[in-house]
Amino acid sequence: MENVFECIYVDGVTRLCTKNLAPGYSVYGERLIKFEGIEYREWNAFRSKLAGAILKGLKYNPIKKGTKVLYLGAASGTTPSHISDIVEKEGKVYGVEFSPRVVRELILVAQRRPNLFPILADARFPQAYSLLVEDPEVLYVDIAQPDQTDIAIYNAKFFLREGGYLLLAVKARSIDVTKEPEEIFMAEAEKLRKENFDVEQIINLDPYDKDHSMIVAKFKG
Amino acid sequence: MMKVYLVEHVIGSFAFDENGKLVDYVLNPRDLGKVVDMLIDHEEHGNPFPSALELLLKLKPSEVVVENEAEVAKFQGLGARVTTQVHHFGAREFRQSLVKYALEAKYAPNEEELYSFLYQVSFEYTRRKLRKASQKRDLLAIQAVRAIDDIDKTINLFSERLREWYSLHFPELDKMVEDHQLYSKIVSYLGYRDNITQEALKELGLNDSRASKIADAAKKSIGADISEDDINSIRMLSNTILELFKIRNDLADYVESVMREVSPNVTALVGPVLGARLLSLAGSLEELAKMPASTIQVLGAEKALFRALKTGSRPPKHGIIFQFPAIHSSPRWQRGKIARALAAKLAIAARVDAFSGRYIGDQLVEQLNKRIEEIKTKYAQPPPRKQQKEERPQGKGKKGKGDKKKGKRR
Ligand SMILES: C[S@@+](CC[C@H](N)C(=O)[O-])C[C@H]1O[C@@H](n2cnc3c(N)ncnc32)[C@H](O)[C@@H]1O
Repeated sequence: MENVFECIYVDGVTRLCTKNLAPGYSVYGERLIKFEGIEYREWNAFRSKLAGAILKGLKYNPIKKGTKVLYLGAASGTTPSHISDIVEKEGKVYGVEFSPRVVRELILVAQRRPNLFPILADARFPQAYSLLVEDPEVLYVDIAQPDQTDIAIYNAKFFLREGGYLLLAVKARSIDVTKEPEEIFMAEAEKLRKENFDVEQIINLDPYDKDHSMIVAKFKG
Repeated sequence: MMKVYLVEHVIGSFAFDENGKLVDYVLNPRDLGKVVDMLIDHEEHGNPFPSALELLLKLKPSEVVVENEAEVAKFQGLGARVTTQVHHFGAREFRQSLVKYALEAKYAPNEEELYSFLYQVSFEYTRRKLRKASQKRDLLAIQAVRAIDDIDKTINLFSERLREWYSLHFPELDKMVEDHQLYSKIVSYLGYRDNITQEALKELGLNDSRASKIADAAKKSIGADISEDDINSIRMLSNTILELFKIRNDLADYVESVMREVSPNVTALVGPVLGARLLSLAGSLEELAKMPASTIQVLGAEKALFRALKTGSRPPKHGIIFQFPAIHSSPRWQRGKIARALAAKLAIAARVDAFSGRYIGDQLVEQLNKRIEEIKTKYAQPPPRKQQKEERPQGKGKKGKGDKKKGKRR
């Protein structure tokens, strides 16, 4: 997978890593590892769903060097910072988050990363941030809202390029506590199919995130 | 009669036809404060960009397609049919080739500068919105900058101790490395004198010649031999110093972020740390905003000011703002004038920060720099000392008098 590395420690433990775009700075307490003059950041799959998805068998990662990503639910920047590492300075990460408290932390992370644009806005109203972004190749949605699939679809129609990818993190419990998680994942995927997406993979994130899955879908426009 | 697809973006307003071809455009000013004002106005009131209105007045289309429902009413007066459709032809074309359109329209000279401006805009926009949610965050910046000052004092204290202690083993290093952080690094990472080789020093980032000089001194050192235990105890201290440097850096980042949020205009003028020190001396942003420029000018020089009032000696020309590079790096006789100019801008900046939050930092900086240039050319030569008194009545003295009066009234 492009720009996603494995760091093997002396005791044999292997961890995912990304090349640190802001050398010397750790974002959420993750380890920094220097190897042949390059600094890497350990990517904790228990903290980041994308890392979890990769370890659980993501077949194709549409995020690589140069990719433009619109990220909804950027929170304090844990996953966005790794995506910023992966896309390098040629790529861009537009990070939308609506909670002021966490945006303050996101700003501290983005200050060191010229490719990470912090945007305080509500993902339900793309009209506001449409003035600040460009059309992305990847739409990453992790907002833990009951209607998040609808919000993702709306944003895809608003911004996503034809052939672009949607990575949608689904938290079963925030959608319906009474239903079986698998049932919910299938229902959300079905919504996407109806809206012109090819659902390529539904990755259960257990044990990194219980009752969560990552839906990978390609947008047919 | 023409139908156009209107796209609005930070860089301007663009109109495309039904085939996705660019018809015409009007750029936005490349001014951080103005662009962010427009964005906020657009978001809060559904007001279109002035550039969009100008563009439509120019094109007089019969039909306009926009992306934002809230704007429809605002365009009604233009006599065109207005409809909404998200991601229409124009929006698609424009946002997929943003760089191309921005460069062709000469909004920025190259891709790098374009993105660097867009990056600043998203920060400023986000900070403006954060400001509304912020209460008393100036007090957080104040405490943080005070913590930085405490840490600096501690670093100095510990470094002096470390130097004295480690000098028992390698006294020559003290004079050769003045920078406390580098000194601590050498002790922490290398420890024993015998480990201080040219190679090892180069890995710590020293250049060839410096590394070889220090390594040479280590070899010939007259210091005493000490044990592993001794070294380890010394290292505990140098490790602590390095940790303090790290905390200091993180705090400085934090102060910068908070200051840009709560007091962006003061920060633009004097930087986050000096800005926070001004808030700290005033007590809060609001207190600073209430102060006249003459008080801001001498903030932090209270002792000298009171002395002047008591004894009739000359009042101080500057307090903490002496730390501003253009003041302390200028010749003595220009400093008071630059300090006054800076204080005047700071007074405006603090008021805007406290009461409206608009960003006018770029203009303030520009005006200040112009004034400093003027002072530098007009007062290039030092005033001749003795003649000064005789010249007083001839107008030049006026300013001097005014100064004194202000000083006395305080
Ligand atoms: C599970 S967290 C995201 C964690 C992050 N994706 C990561 O991996 O580092 C969900 C975030 O979405 C934000 N959020 C929820 N609803 C939102 C909305 N309508 N617009 C923007 N952000 C939203 C929440 O404030 C929260 O910070």
